[in-house]
Amino acid sequence: MADMRTIAVEPRDRAGKGAARATRRDGRVPGVIYGEGKPPVMVSVEQRAIQREFRRIGFFAKLCDIKLKDETIRVLPREVQIDPVTDRAIHVDFLRVGAKTRVAVGIPVEFINEGTSPGIKRGGVLNVVRHQVECYCQADSIPDHLTVDLDGLDIGDSVHISMVKLPEGVRPTITGRDFTIASIAPPTVLQVETPAAAATTEEGAEGAVPAEGEAAAAAGAAPGAPGAPGAPGAKPAEGGKEAAPAPEKGKGKGRG
Amino acid sequence: MMSPMRTKYRKAHKGRIHGKAKAGFTLNYGSFGLKAVEPGRITARQIEAARRAITRHMKRVGRIWIRVFPDVPVSTKPAEVRMGSGKGTPEFWVCRIKPGRIMFEVDGITKTVAHEAFALAAAKLPVITRVVARVAEEV
Repeated sequence: MADMRTIAVEPRDRAGKGAARATRRDGRVPGVIYGEGKPPVMVSVEQRAIQREFRRIGFFAKLCDIKLKDETIRVLPREVQIDPVTDRAIHVDFLRVGAKTRVAVGIPVEFINEGTSPGIKRGGVLNVVRHQVECYCQADSIPDHLTVDLDGLDIGDSVHISMVKLPEGVRPTITGRDFTIASIAPPTVLQVETPAAAATTEEGAEGAVPAEGEAAAAAGAAPGAPGAPGAPGAKPAEGGKEAAPAPEKGKGKGRG
Repeated sequence: MMSPMRTKYRKAHKGRIHGKAKAGFTLNYGSFGLKAVEPGRITARQIEAARRAITRHMKRVGRIWIRVFPDVPVSTKPAEVRMGSGKGTPEFWVCRIKPGRIMFEVDGITKTVAHEAFALAAAKLPVITRVVARVAEEV
């Protein structure tokens, strides 16, 4: 477990959006401390302090001490709500923990031996499926990170949770399947192009499926993209107007 | 270019873009992303142009994810046609972008290359963007 951080907070007396907005106008972030069967405490944190901290790897997996007046509370940061545009923190949650509290926490994954992986040497990309793995563990013994050794992995190989040595007392929340943590994916543009083929397909044949288009279909639209039908949501490139909906056969009804 | 394989209706209303992105505003796949900071409609052509710019600048390394999909058909009337007589024909597809939306993500490249690639891509998009990074030790 890493060294303990200390966050200075101030109590907040009023709840609701009006009070929360007033807190933000003062350069502070509204927050709450809850858990351990005690009543929740409304607090506020200095904007710069939380902004500096919450983007660090493992922020949500490290205990910290909160100094509230002359009292020190041991907490685990649970959530930081951010503004979608500015990425500034707008609210923060802290979970009060004791020595024996068991928590489900996302532990960051650290990858080692990237230089000795033949797949990455050949131009493959480490495709991190899970940047952190959610595990059950005791609050006072949360590991800093889970170490994944990439030595000997080639393009197409993947690392599953069963290949990771978990510290004692730590078990993943996902049970029943050997989920993937990372894989070595081929790079976006991995094309073997003969000079003759390059001369005919390059740029000139925009209507045909370009070589890069294939790679794009492989990378495809991210599965989360709205309206994307499945993982490789992108339809292979079609020339110009063909991609647009078919033209209307007849005119619509006249409306004067 | 990206377009839906089939749609329930051929034509859509123009619509308006209100508010900020409610989802898709955090990096999910890569280390760097291109985030829109103003609302706008991005056409399938613009997405493809930006994708090509990023891919070519990355030069055979790294990986790219496209986090938006153009699923709104836009219709136009032919030139020199009087108003009325119904809605025009669907011509191209667009994606409605709200401020905060991550449009592209990349991984496996350095910060400098990512910024350069996204600058090229941003020049092809009709919205103001900024580059975001997953790890911000220096923030």
